[in-house]
Amino acid sequence: MDILEIIQFAFVQKAFIAGSFVALLCSVLGLFLVLQRLSLIGDGLAHVSFGAIAMGLFFGLYPIYFAIPVVILASVFILKLVKKGRFSGDAAIGIVSSAGIAGGVILASLSNGFNVDLFSYLFGNILAISSAEMYFSIFLSVVVLAVIYLFYYDLFSITFNEDYAKTTGIKTERINSLLVVLTAITVVLAVKVVGVMLVSSLLILPAVTALQLKRSFKATIFISAVFAVFSVIIGIILSIILNIPAGASIVMCNFFVFILAFLLRNRS
Amino acid sequence: MKKRIIFLILAVAALLAFVWMLNYRVISNKNGEKLSVVATLFPYYDFAKIVGGDKAEVSLLLPPGIEAHSFEPKPSDIFKINSADIFVYTGDFMEPWAKDILIGINNKKLSVVKAGDVVSLLNGSDEGLGSGADPHIWLDLLNSENIVDGILTAFVKKDPQNSDFYIQNAHNLKNELKDLDNSFKAGLSNCQTKTLIYGGHYAFGYLVKRYGLNYLAAQGFAPDSEPTARDLANLINELKKNNVGYVFYEELSSPKIAETISEETGAKLLLLNTAEKITKEDLNNNVSFIDIIKEDLVNLKTGLGCQ
Repeated sequence: MDILEIIQFAFVQKAFIAGSFVALLCSVLGLFLVLQRLSLIGDGLAHVSFGAIAMGLFFGLYPIYFAIPVVILASVFILKLVKKGRFSGDAAIGIVSSAGIAGGVILASLSNGFNVDLFSYLFGNILAISSAEMYFSIFLSVVVLAVIYLFYYDLFSITFNEDYAKTTGIKTERINSLLVVLTAITVVLAVKVVGVMLVSSLLILPAVTALQLKRSFKATIFISAVFAVFSVIIGIILSIILNIPAGASIVMCNFFVFILAFLLRNRS
Repeated sequence: MKKRIIFLILAVAALLAFVWMLNYRVISNKNGEKLSVVATLFPYYDFAKIVGGDKAEVSLLLPPGIEAHSFEPKPSDIFKINSADIFVYTGDFMEPWAKDILIGINNKKLSVVKAGDVVSLLNGSDEGLGSGADPHIWLDLLNSENIVDGILTAFVKKDPQNSDFYIQNAHNLKNELKDLDNSFKAGLSNCQTKTLIYGGHYAFGYLVKRYGLNYLAAQGFAPDSEPTARDLANLINELKKNNVGYVFYEELSSPKIAETISEETGAKLLLLNTAEKITKEDLNNNVSFIDIIKEDLVNLKTGLGCQ
């Protein structure tokens, strides 16, 4: 089968569409997170959602509805550790995510096993996206991007100088909470659509790549989004040509784009 | 204020979980009369329960929903094996953690049944799936009869006084397996298609070989490998070619891949249970291996369009 034939399959087209929107969403959100030194929050919150899903199953509740509030609480807790407790971002994320995964393991064992394979429900695969999930990822992207657009100047100001932002009357605490809550929702829901590896890499790589180019902040957001979407499309095409898993192929594309940008920066 | 209430609720929830756990922990471990058997996977557990009847206390080591490859034994599991008379598992290729436990424990009376040693193994390279043996040995019903014999040998060795009882039970079970094998042969002899399309991991290699079917699965032996776009496109094309219109999915795992294929082709979903794992409800309701495989035969006949 040649590539043109494979691209005509609906599941491949859904991967292009949903993948591009998730990339857009994560790359914009990721830029603020990277600059706030919270790059690994995606990974950390995915671990917490494992614990939360286990908790939901343990109490017999529908796990994903239970996971969203718990992961939001965890993300706010990470923020508190950083801002109030003066822990560094990586330590704060480490504290919360290790407790999350350990809690999940204990609950899974206490309930003497669940009726389902937890991981298979928790983590999606970009090639197995239902139509509903595709529309949902478009919806989520629009909501998150709209919130970022509305609060753009507040977010921008806090990201670069929080103390100054405070003196200009911005409610820094609220805006920071908004950022991590959006991240928490994205992690729980986008991970279910495209998988944890893709979400956490799309939160970090396009942002750091765009930052290598040292443009204005608005331009950096734009470049980050372009790189992310480009990597998804090229990554899927390459995965078809080389017959390799699509998620990993997208991550490697992002990585190579980053290396290129890094070399370019060092040369100039 | 709101935050405090949320924290309070969480604290109460944690406390409730703790109390529940305390109630759950007390496991009685006194069955001096009965043979104590520990089996890793559901088929072995079920066979040992039938052979042992009321003269054995059989426990299933892997909790429902846990993959055999990635299972991590708890201290109480090791304790259980340490005080058991018989331990049944597949082999190091399926339960890699078992070897370490068996070396580590100090149980001189333990008789180990290695199911992989008493059956004829299919090799991965013969199935086009890389190296190593295909671990889903119980899905060849002839193999399952051998496994029953292996378990029987251990029972007779441990408790020779009741050997007639065990031999009779094993004999009945093997007859049932033989009957089931015959109904598979008869049921799958006249079908519209011989190709089984499976949206899960490659588990039915033994079964398809025994009944002369073709088999296309989305994943390899291990459930955590990821299919490529080409793999999925091949499955979809194959499904479009044979016009029965069913795709099979795996038990206790997210049917996402099968659903993707179904959305693409309009094929209907049918469960094909590997019997490796079992739900808590089925375990409590005493659903047997034979019940599960019979169910599979019904779905196979529908899915392959058999007369």
